[in-house]
Amino acid sequence: MSKKSFNPDVDVIEWTGTQRPYDIIKEGTIALVVMSLLVVMLSVLFSSPDDRPATLRQWSHSDPVDFATTAFSELNGSSGTAGYGQPYNNTPNATQTIGPLALQRWMGVRIPVHPAADFVLAPLATLPDNPAIVAALQQWKLSSESERTMWMGYYAKVTPSFSNGALHLPDVNAGPIPVLMSSLTAMARAGSLDQSLLGGGRNYYSTDYTRPLLFLADGNWFGGLAAKQHLSGDQWGMMNETGSYPGQAWLWLYTFWYQVPPFSTSENADSLIWGLMMVLTVIMIFVPFIPGVRSIPRRTKVYRLIWRNHYRK
Amino acid sequence: MQPSHLAGIVNLDHPGHYIHFHWLLISYGNAIVIALMMATFVAALFLPFPGARRKGHHHE
Repeated sequence: MSKKSFNPDVDVIEWTGTQRPYDIIKEGTIALVVMSLLVVMLSVLFSSPDDRPATLRQWSHSDPVDFATTAFSELNGSSGTAGYGQPYNNTPNATQTIGPLALQRWMGVRIPVHPAADFVLAPLATLPDNPAIVAALQQWKLSSESERTMWMGYYAKVTPSFSNGALHLPDVNAGPIPVLMSSLTAMARAGSLDQSLLGGGRNYYSTDYTRPLLFLADGNWFGGLAAKQHLSGDQWGMMNETGSYPGQAWLWLYTFWYQVPPFSTSENADSLIWGLMMVLTVIMIFVPFIPGVRSIPRRTKVYRLIWRNHYRK
Repeated sequence: MQPSHLAGIVNLDHPGHYIHFHWLLISYGNAIVIALMMATFVAALFLPFPGARRKGHHHE
């Protein structure tokens, strides 16, 4: 029977030199105490990011025309959420893919969102004692699909303006849409739309911000807010934090891919980069089994620097 | 509680500054943290083990 050859990456020579005791509990305790003191000291010194949450109320006050324009895109089904696909709706060919793998579509519609009903009509229906809104909602409800299409076509041709605390529209034959849009803008400015959309409007104490966040993300104001704070994808935003705080520096590789072709110009960037990072993660896990890569520590000899006294002998 | 009671001694809640070099865009905060991490790594390589000289033996 032939003797197995010695592989320096896998096999080890049995240690026959001197040995000394090592107290791992002591070292762990010292590390814990030092790190705890550092955390407390740095917290007192720098505190933590304290940026005010972006709300529909804030948006409708800062840029009411953008809010009203986005609200109309929710009503006519042209918003980003309306065409997002899974998990919100079944818009065909909307989801990202990795080659033939349509992971997003395969997950199905897990959080059904109907922008027109959820973001516009249902919140307005919660407003009490407003005959104009009740009449507008009733007119919308009883209208035919062709009537709605005609109204939306007329409304799309005008540009709203905002002054004296209210939305203004030129005279246009858009049925109930002007009332719906100006009422929703007023509702958002009062702050009640934020509460109405929380948890799909079904639970007062909800912490489910899905719908208000989707609505916010459909407009231009929210994206502008993120870009100002260097939080957009093309600004290495994944590793940035609000204000001057250091962010998630360990996500440098993930966000790096978004800056370079082909990912920076791809419609499937999120899926492709996720797939690439999964592949790299698997490679990292299997480093001990990859010939050449597993030899890097032995060949670079960094360990000889750390235990230089031993190797000097 | 007023927000001012929660603020740190050094206020970092103001617009950040960024280093922009060709395709690289990095905040001063992140650059400082990364530099500190690298400095800690280099120090761990070159500084002697604590207590090694005092005890009069080498770590092996």
